[in-house]
Amino acid sequence: MKTIILATAIRILIPLFIIFSVYTLFRGHNHPGGGFIGGLIGSIAFVFHTMTHGPQHTVDTFLKLNLYGYPRQPNQSRSLYLMRMMRVNVWRRRKMARHPEIRHRMIRIESVYIIATGLFLAATSGMLGLLSGQPYMHAYWTDFYIPVLGKPGTPILFDVGVYLLVIGVVLKITFVMSEE
Amino acid sequence: MFLAILAGFLLALAAPLLYRWLGKWVYAPMALLPFSIFVYLLTLAPAVLGGENLGELHTWAPSLNINLHFFLDGLSLLFALLITGFGTLIMLYAVGYLKGHPLLGRFYLYLTLFMTAMLGLVLAGNIISIFVFWELTSISSYLLIGFNQDKEKSRSSALQALLVTGLGGMALMGGLILLGMAGGSYTLSELLQRGDVVTNHALYLPALVLLLLGAFTKSAQFPFHFWLPNAMEAPTPVSAYLHSATMVKAGVYLLARLTPVMGGTDEWQYTLMLVGGITTVLGAFLATQHVDLKAILAYTTISALGLLVTMTGIGTAPAMEAMVVFLLAHALYKGTLFLVAGNVDHATGTRDLTQLTGLSGSMRYTAIAALLAGMSMAGILPFFGFIGKELLYEASLQESPFRWMLFAVSFFSGMVFVSVAIALGFGVFWRRSESPTALQHPDKPLLYLPPVILAGTGLVFGLLQGFFVTPLLRRAAESMLGVEQVFELALWHGFTLALGLSVITVLLGYVLYRKANRLLSYASRFNDLYLFGPANLYQLTLKGFLAGATKITATIQNGYLRSYIAAIVTAHISLIVLALWENGPRLELTNRLDQLSQLRLYEVVLLLMLVSALVFLFKSQSRLTSIAIMGIVGYSAALLYILFGAPDVAATQLLIETLTVVIFVLILHKLPTFGYLSHAAERYKYILLSLAFGAVMTYVILIVKQYPLDSEIKAYYGENSYLLGQGRNIVNVILVDFRAFDTLGEIVVLAVAAIGIMAMLKLRMQKGDKP
Repeated sequence: MKTIILATAIRILIPLFIIFSVYTLFRGHNHPGGGFIGGLIGSIAFVFHTMTHGPQHTVDTFLKLNLYGYPRQPNQSRSLYLMRMMRVNVWRRRKMARHPEIRHRMIRIESVYIIATGLFLAATSGMLGLLSGQPYMHAYWTDFYIPVLGKPGTPILFDVGVYLLVIGVVLKITFVMSEE
Repeated sequence: MFLAILAGFLLALAAPLLYRWLGKWVYAPMALLPFSIFVYLLTLAPAVLGGENLGELHTWAPSLNINLHFFLDGLSLLFALLITGFGTLIMLYAVGYLKGHPLLGRFYLYLTLFMTAMLGLVLAGNIISIFVFWELTSISSYLLIGFNQDKEKSRSSALQALLVTGLGGMALMGGLILLGMAGGSYTLSELLQRGDVVTNHALYLPALVLLLLGAFTKSAQFPFHFWLPNAMEAPTPVSAYLHSATMVKAGVYLLARLTPVMGGTDEWQYTLMLVGGITTVLGAFLATQHVDLKAILAYTTISALGLLVTMTGIGTAPAMEAMVVFLLAHALYKGTLFLVAGNVDHATGTRDLTQLTGLSGSMRYTAIAALLAGMSMAGILPFFGFIGKELLYEASLQESPFRWMLFAVSFFSGMVFVSVAIALGFGVFWRRSESPTALQHPDKPLLYLPPVILAGTGLVFGLLQGFFVTPLLRRAAESMLGVEQVFELALWHGFTLALGLSVITVLLGYVLYRKANRLLSYASRFNDLYLFGPANLYQLTLKGFLAGATKITATIQNGYLRSYIAAIVTAHISLIVLALWENGPRLELTNRLDQLSQLRLYEVVLLLMLVSALVFLFKSQSRLTSIAIMGIVGYSAALLYILFGAPDVAATQLLIETLTVVIFVLILHKLPTFGYLSHAAERYKYILLSLAFGAVMTYVILIVKQYPLDSEIKAYYGENSYLLGQGRNIVNVILVDFRAFDTLGEIVVLAVAAIGIMAMLKLRMQKGDKP
């Protein structure tokens, strides 16, 4: 279902969606919002992208990281090599992709990994209490306050876990459904 | 003790990794673990033999009175030494037996897991921990029996063992809980003091029945004996370790352990003697009907277990003494014979008794081990088995109404044991033969050393019985009887009745051995009888169960979403109606009618929109229209939430509606054409159901609103949300802080659902049919 208006609009809207979803996530503790709603907002961006461009394109654009590189020469110093690799990957991405001698490796973020990360964060955020002799899920708060985001604490970590999990679940369902 | 168990579990899990690093040298750490635990236990032995009971307590769930409690007395020490000592030899033997097997690491994982679980079982001092370790042994036994997973027979035998012992385990759990209720404690050392309270309690009988079920299934007592011969599908180290020396004795251990608590009553005595006796005779008889070495050994093991249970049932001091002595002797010689059978199988490729002759030339050391173990099993003079047999006869010949029956049972089994011992220890190896069975490979040190050591131990214990064995066994018998024991073991008692009977047993056993072929030729005549045997009953039950389950699943899981929803809704309606029918609060609308006048305009508009959308939905002819209408319904609901002050819920509802519509659109063109396939009457049925559901829910909500809602919870959350939860949004604080555990459960469900959706759609795509 490719319409030019939607296809163009969604490319610009995605960063907005993401920023807004993260904002919703963090403001949730004091105002309407939270991990679940934030996750839904964030995932809707990707769902629209999938709808217009197809799942493959979404994965290629957002969930894949291309790393370029070549094997280290025997007489090349390790630090020099590392710096070259960083330069290749940070500043010269476009050029390197077309370079014939440069091999690239892809890091693909499966949506299941996002689900797993979310679940892991949510489950381990309660561990802090367990380790210090309090019951599981005992909340800990820091004393300082970050302007837009609010006070950091373990419940916020839990909420971030929920956020990631919701994004992952929606993405997984969308990809599976549209690939079929 | 806790550290030993923990180290066992950790090393078990590390085994595959160690195998990758160390190759076949993986056996070094794996054998070192049981050996070091063995040595550690030996250092504790002086204290235990001196009359102390060592304990160690780690709180686990103290509010439920369930603790990780370890308890070491004579009986535990005997079993623990047996498990670790034998375990060391088995770990060495396994690498020789499974040399070059690609899954050796996994095998060590299972084996060490089992060993640790078994060790935990005998050291546990809390009956709940006993149950946990008990189940662990069942599971690891299942994994070990099914180790040759490519064989159908292996898998089904493993499943059989798991089902039988697992069902027994469930009965055991019930029994242990009842026992805990009757005795008022889950701690073993406390229960041991309260035998009188327990036996006079109303729950005694049900607890006894359940406990006996657990013990009998584990120790392969009639009528649950059939799983043990099938379990011989496991690699031989497993059969030797689990199914002769340790795991099958767990049932006996439990009975022995609980004798001071539950024993002494008529029910206990008669059941144990009856079941044990039947098992003894049946096992001995069936052993004569087979030619497979491992099958013969399995049936004699069943018979020996029967004897142990019988002795526990008799419960007098000599019987207990006989039981512990025979238990040790049996573990030593039966373990050896199993290892020998494994060697023969490994070297010649067959376990058929009729095809194996004259192996003493080519397998010298194995043959010596077999001879020593055979003599111990037959009860020849300087061996430990002799002492065991003498004591068995003495115990069964004591004054009791059943003395002749008990004696007949032990005499018959003794005779068969002699015959089997001659066949295995002498016939296979030392009988002269023109054409000895050819070997595929020569005997290997790792394969013949463990049985030689074990058989040698049997001889040494027989000769030096006073050194360490007697005090240990004395303490073990004490744990069962609760009073101090002073018996001395001796090889020579003078010319007593028992000695004469021993001699007669050996002679008759030899006659039986000569006539074994004749007996075997009768074997086919019993085939009709076996049709009614428990093994066949098990197969029938399993088949019936599977067929029944398939049928039920086909009925209730028919794949139509509408019937699932209809079932859920119907159940919901009937439960609510049931609850409200008789004593439920009545609806009083008369004084609330004036509230209708407070209805605002936009509420009415929303309501009209909802209702008209629904009416339109019934008439819609295309899928897109119905999706859009569903969207309208959803957004209207979200608006309602906003109107009544629940912005969080409203936001979620809005987003979910959007997502639903978008995802629907994604797959819209892949769905079959929209149409009403069902009959008109069917449709009205669902409409009626929906109306009923709506009506019931409305009624419930009206009733709820009838009463003022002042719960403390609401006030509590309102007050403490900011103070404790550091947040002003109560809904969110509840979600991520106050009731975060619930949320965790919910998101786990969500993740599982996503994986489920993926699995379902991906699997169908692989099969190649378009959904």
